[in-house]
Amino acid sequence: MIKVYSTPTCPYCVTLKNFLKEKGIDFEDLDVALDAHARDEMVEKSGQMGVPVSDIDGEIVIGFDRDKICQLLKLEC
Amino acid sequence: MKVYDLIIIGGGPAAMSAAVYAARRKLKTALIAKQLGGQMNEGYVIENYLGPYGTPGPALAKKFIWHLNIFKKELEIKEGEKVQQISGCDSSVKIVETDREEYKTKTVIIATGKSEKKLDIPGAKEFEGKGITYCATCDAPMFSGKIVAVVGAGDSGIDTVHQLLSYTSKIYWLNKYAEIKGENKTLGEEMLNNGKVQYLPNCVPSEIKGEKFVKSLIYTNVQNNQKSEVEVEGIFVEIGSTSKVDFINGCLKTSEWGEIEINHQTGATSVPGIFAAGDVADTKYKQISIAVGQGAIAALSAADYLKTLNKK
Ligand SMILES: Cc1cc2nc3c(=O)[nH]c(=O)nc-3n(C[C@H](O)[C@H](O)[C@H](O)COP(=O)(O)OP(=O)(O)OC[C@H]3O[C@@H](n4cnc5c(N)ncnc54)[C@H](O)[C@@H]3O)c2cc1C
Repeated sequence: MIKVYSTPTCPYCVTLKNFLKEKGIDFEDLDVALDAHARDEMVEKSGQMGVPVSDIDGEIVIGFDRDKICQLLKLEC
Repeated sequence: MKVYDLIIIGGGPAAMSAAVYAARRKLKTALIAKQLGGQMNEGYVIENYLGPYGTPGPALAKKFIWHLNIFKKELEIKEGEKVQQISGCDSSVKIVETDREEYKTKTVIIATGKSEKKLDIPGAKEFEGKGITYCATCDAPMFSGKIVAVVGAGDSGIDTVHQLLSYTSKIYWLNKYAEIKGENKTLGEEMLNNGKVQYLPNCVPSEIKGEKFVKSLIYTNVQNNQKSEVEVEGIFVEIGSTSKVDFINGCLKTSEWGEIEINHQTGATSVPGIFAAGDVADTKYKQISIAVGQGAIAALSAADYLKTLNKK
């Protein structure tokens, strides 16, 4: 189960989501600009306030860390 | 190994403009960029680039990328790659090393822009991402209903306060100088009348305190050295920038600000065959229109330089 916490305007959020789409990965897209509950959940899980944050089966990735995301999803990158 | 005519490093307006000119000149070109769009991705609404008036920065970036892709057949576009080193400065073939590959090329255009300067005070490192942010466009919504501080009152500082007005409940706006500066000075001055904004001229941050997250900011008035503390949950920093030139290994001349020195007529640097354009260069004004113009100049100069190489 993959969740991406992001805001609509942040460039790295767009890059991250496009990257996952390109690789054919399904994810739940949570807009923390609108969804206060998701915002609190993101801060709680990541211990920080910067977007994007991905939750990949319980592993938290802060920012668009391509290598870590590829490793967790076992993707050839 | 294949030798390119031109390698363009960067993916902002300077690099994309250079790529369009290079493609039309049929130069064997690769464009290497960490991310296409550059700082345009961070701009709020762009009102001074001629044509698409009032377009949000990321949307303008998309238009530029769409235009770049028209020349996809003539160009190799390598997004997501980071240049780590340029060598062979004194030879006619330069080597560009990235985190993935090594390229050989006859000419290089450096258009890597600039990045934000970080705060260097107690608490700044510790609380980065924990209330301190350098990207209002990314993180502004995280501070909905909260009290924040903005440090800096140049164009980026003005843009940041403008964005935050629609989210936060109060903004302490620190300016090292008495007056607001920049292209958007008028907007900046108008916002001083907004009830949410408390303007603190001649003030600099001196310490950031908190536990898990930022709780307060201590600032100093530079005129009387008096310190004050305000409770804030967010601190947005916009105190200027430095050029992204860590990969040139001292082979090019740079200014005292770390910008690449260029001949403003041709974009040529101190090394034959290497050109620079946009915010990374020692241009006084850092704007999209200027980056676009300089990208074009650099590509046309690279084409001219290649002709002289071929004659030898
Ligand atoms: C918040 C904000 C608001 C702004 N508003 C306006 C405005 O209203 N009007 C205006 O005209 N200008 C505005 N600007 C300024 C404008 O965006 C810049 O002047 C312009 O983007 C500079 O273009 P550039 O191509 O030189 O560099 P950049 O846009 O900085 O692009 C640099 C590129 O180089 C890439 N890069 C960097 N290092 C490497 C590396 N080692 N390897 C590979 N790639 C690399 C980056 O990924 C990026 O694609 C604004 C800037 C900001 C931050």
